[in-house]
Amino acid sequence: MIHVTWKLADGREISAEVEPGRNLMEAAIANDVPHVVGECGGCLSCATCHVYVDEAWQAKTGAPEETEDAMLDITEAERRPESRLSCQIVAAPELDGLVLLVPEP
Amino acid sequence: MTVWIPTDDGHADLSSHDAFVGGAPHNTFARLRREDPLAWTDWDGGKGFWSVTRYNDIAELNRNFELLSSARGIRMEDQSYEEYLARRTFQETDPPEHTRTRVKVAKAFSKPVVAQFEGQIRQLCDEILDEALKEGVFDATKAIARQLPMRMLGQIIGVPDEDLPWLVEKGDALIANTDPEFTDHVLDRMETDAYRMMPFNSPAGAELYGYAQQLMSKKEQAGDTSGVLHLIRQPDVHGNVISDTEFRNFFCLVVAAGNDTTRYSIAAGILALCKQPELLDLLRSGDESIWETMPDEVIRWASPAMYFRRTATRDFEIHGKTVREGDKVLLWFASANRDDAAFDNPFTVDFARSPNRHMSFGQGGPHVCLGMWLARLEIRLLFQELAKRVKSIRQAGSHEFLRSNFVGGIKRLPIEVTLN
Repeated sequence: MIHVTWKLADGREISAEVEPGRNLMEAAIANDVPHVVGECGGCLSCATCHVYVDEAWQAKTGAPEETEDAMLDITEAERRPESRLSCQIVAAPELDGLVLLVPEP
Repeated sequence: MTVWIPTDDGHADLSSHDAFVGGAPHNTFARLRREDPLAWTDWDGGKGFWSVTRYNDIAELNRNFELLSSARGIRMEDQSYEEYLARRTFQETDPPEHTRTRVKVAKAFSKPVVAQFEGQIRQLCDEILDEALKEGVFDATKAIARQLPMRMLGQIIGVPDEDLPWLVEKGDALIANTDPEFTDHVLDRMETDAYRMMPFNSPAGAELYGYAQQLMSKKEQAGDTSGVLHLIRQPDVHGNVISDTEFRNFFCLVVAAGNDTTRYSIAAGILALCKQPELLDLLRSGDESIWETMPDEVIRWASPAMYFRRTATRDFEIHGKTVREGDKVLLWFASANRDDAAFDNPFTVDFARSPNRHMSFGQGGPHVCLGMWLARLEIRLLFQELAKRVKSIRQAGSHEFLRSNFVGGIKRLPIEVTLN
């Protein structure tokens, strides 16, 4: 299990232990993280699991692939260089301690 | 009080459009969820099919496009490969091909872009309600529910208002192709297969294509490159463009898909206001937070797209049965939306329901409705404007459902209103 923290726009934090192999959109929904919706179940057909990756973790989560990059153009909250769709970030041992910022729509 | 109590005997034939004329057979779905969650139906119109009715099973299977493909047809009817190629849109493809096409139009239907329509939609609602409510007693489906999505279609594809009734009539002939009120070519009663290469197996597809060609050539001459019809023809990241056939089918999809689903959601919402009077009081209470949640509850309640079909790409086991490669599997979203394992009091309309992870848009899979943000916005604005004007609302006659096991909709809804 790895430790993941979602920081909400209102200052609240939600932390959870996430099984490696699970994507972080599913993990967010399982832990009732608000504003991470995941309408398409992680199939890159929506952009409703948008998060900002904390600066310290950006190198480890990597850059979006081509389709994710295109879908990041339709997020409800502003797109930033640290924007990712959380369904495309998969829990792995090297992400233990990961911090994600959840934008308020 | 519940809005509507299903009257089927619990053993409705899901292949029969006639089994749906009293509304979706929810006693049958409830029995299947309880006793036979992967149910087989023999069908005299083609190969039999499996039905999946539980919320959790559909959630699991809908995302698994490698196991259950959309690329061999998405309705109950069988298609040859030739027919499939002639009639498909990106709805009938799987990722990654599906995603490459979808991404071209995704922005035009995204929440922030759709939100810019708010002023226009509110104005359309004003016009529609001013006209309809004058009457006092009227058919709410025809005078209200049908009007809004039809007029929005004009804004989205950029066609003159005077063409809209014709376009919507053709759209109805496509989607409601099993109800004799909407088409002369009733799908399960046709004796010829003359239209099998046309979108939705319907001659209306050919007429719409002729219209689309003229429209596009007019736009080209005028140098008009706005709108989704232009976007869909742009090359994808690999430089591929869609064929003329696929463009024709996309045009038909846009005309048909966004139209009747939003229409029947609005109609179901109005019926709910008639049957549960406290709902109108709530909308008139001034509590703004209700508008965040009510559109999704209306859409859950309505479940206008009752199922989509997939086809198994290999053998798999579920609930002790084996689904074979090539078997058709119907995911009954309408049943999932009444599953008490997922929703408290699923037969009660609760505008404050939250969370409301309904499946009316096919949530949880790659084909989640492209127009969902537009649908939610149209419903919110229409009911906001209705609640401003109407003091009470009641049914003025019995309502009638569409003859279709695919689209669930109230096609006639006589109501009487008193105004403020």
